[in-house]
Amino acid sequence: MDNLNLFPLYLSLRVAFTATLIGFICGLPIAYYLCRKQGRFSDFIDTLTNLPVVLPPTVLGYYLLVLLGRQSWLGKLLEERFDIMLVFTPTGAIIAATVVSIPYLIRAAKAALSEINEDYLNAARLLGRGELNIFVTIMIPIAWRGIVSGVTMSFARALGDFGATLMVAGSIPYKTLTMPIAIYNSLLAGDYKMANFLALIMTSVAVLVLYIVNRLEKKMKKG
Amino acid sequence: MLEISIEKKLGNFKLQSNFKSDTGVLGILGSSGCGKSMTLKCISGLQVPDKGFVRLNGKDLFDSEKNVNVSPRKRNIGYVFQNYALFPHLNVYHNILYGVQRLDKAKRHDKVMEMINKVQLDGYEKHYPSQLSGGQQQRVALARTLITEPELLLLDEPFSALDSQVKFMLENELLGVLKKNYEGIVLLVTHNIEEAYRLCDRILIMDNGKSLQLCTKDEIINHPTSLEAASISGCKNFFEVEVIDEGDEFLRITSKDLVLRTNKNTSDYQPRMLAGIRAHHMHLSPYYIDKTNSFECKIVDKVEGVFLTTVIVNCMGSTLLVEVPKDDYINIINTNSPKFWIELPGEKIFLMKINK
Repeated sequence: MDNLNLFPLYLSLRVAFTATLIGFICGLPIAYYLCRKQGRFSDFIDTLTNLPVVLPPTVLGYYLLVLLGRQSWLGKLLEERFDIMLVFTPTGAIIAATVVSIPYLIRAAKAALSEINEDYLNAARLLGRGELNIFVTIMIPIAWRGIVSGVTMSFARALGDFGATLMVAGSIPYKTLTMPIAIYNSLLAGDYKMANFLALIMTSVAVLVLYIVNRLEKKMKKG
Repeated sequence: MLEISIEKKLGNFKLQSNFKSDTGVLGILGSSGCGKSMTLKCISGLQVPDKGFVRLNGKDLFDSEKNVNVSPRKRNIGYVFQNYALFPHLNVYHNILYGVQRLDKAKRHDKVMEMINKVQLDGYEKHYPSQLSGGQQQRVALARTLITEPELLLLDEPFSALDSQVKFMLENELLGVLKKNYEGIVLLVTHNIEEAYRLCDRILIMDNGKSLQLCTKDEIINHPTSLEAASISGCKNFFEVEVIDEGDEFLRITSKDLVLRTNKNTSDYQPRMLAGIRAHHMHLSPYYIDKTNSFECKIVDKVEGVFLTTVIVNCMGSTLLVEVPKDDYINIINTNSPKFWIELPGEKIFLMKINK
């Protein structure tokens, strides 16, 4: 096992953790917005945030490439003004992973937040608290199981992404080669040892995630 | 002083609530879906009325003409929800602390401990709501809102979530805690006339979104002003009557073959009115009753309750429901009397206008 290259494992974990963190920071407010407001605009946002689940990852990656690539308006701006390149970098992989994984978090968090009995929120309002304060002191603590379950799911999705990451970040060894792509590459190269090892890791993570999600959902039902 | 006059439309339902209340407990009595809870929500600002005003101790909380709508968190109103709405993730101490978190640390700790003592929950500080009995939860909810020293306290069906055997004790307890620790205005929503009678000083009757009658609790029992008010307050016997004679202090009324004499209790008479008498105010006897308003009658059926038997009698063509203590009913029946007499005490009969 001396020739085992652990960089893809390290990169995948880094990408998945970062993507989940970004997803959490951006996704939670979106979930909050979606469970509070009902209207055409929020329906639109709801659809938009669910799109990455339905869209083939390669298509999603293609759109991201078009949006962020060096030819695009945004890509040009970032490159010329700030000297930032997104495509074919680990940052690009993080963006791709964030976009594919955030719907899972938003969906679970939204469901958990809208299940909260309105009376709790009304009681808090009448006890003098503002909406943001209520979100932090009442809604998140009550809905935490659903939120954590969403975070876990989105982490698993971010860790396992193949198509979108490949389109946006490519598969540059020691730079943007993540685990799922490494498995593919190892198979192509006939390196079954490596492929098996990485597949085992991915499978263990998946099983662990499912276990956690199931536990949390059972507890949520019990209340 | 609380003054409200509000209108709110929700689909087919229209809420039109207007009344005034001073310190003391005002019961809002009505069947479910009549707009009682909605009224509380409008007063507290959780729902916004379409029109009207809500004024508390001279301050406008809501006024559609002046374009005033104070946010719920600034209204200084205490609200005890039907299911108490205790925050499940906070223990008793932190639930009670929630409304006074802005005070400095030492002061709020003392306040919370004092409040816990007042509602007799010493030793329960670290318990979570799920570990408490219904009555304890209710006291936490009360403590949580009383600690903020609200100008108005709203209680939404405070006993509906409790078992009936503990209800009675808890009613007493709640009254005790309230009388000792709160001097403001209390509105209590209930659909139970007995509960309203035991807990409230005055009662507002609501039906189908409208406030019908506000009066003392004895008035509502003795002189309800409408059919709805009378039936919500538990009256079961109604008959349309014609006023045929008028004396200084009495009226003679007739319904089918029944001719009754009743006290004059309102000055506003119409030739045709609706008369009502409560089931427990009539007397049933196997012997001839030598009093006015006494008639021979037939027992048609009976419904046995726990302590009372409701006897359905036919009296000169009118069907009446009479409530008799169970043992008395057995005694009446055991006489094997072929005939029965019923008395409708004149002072217990009340007259109401016929709603068109």
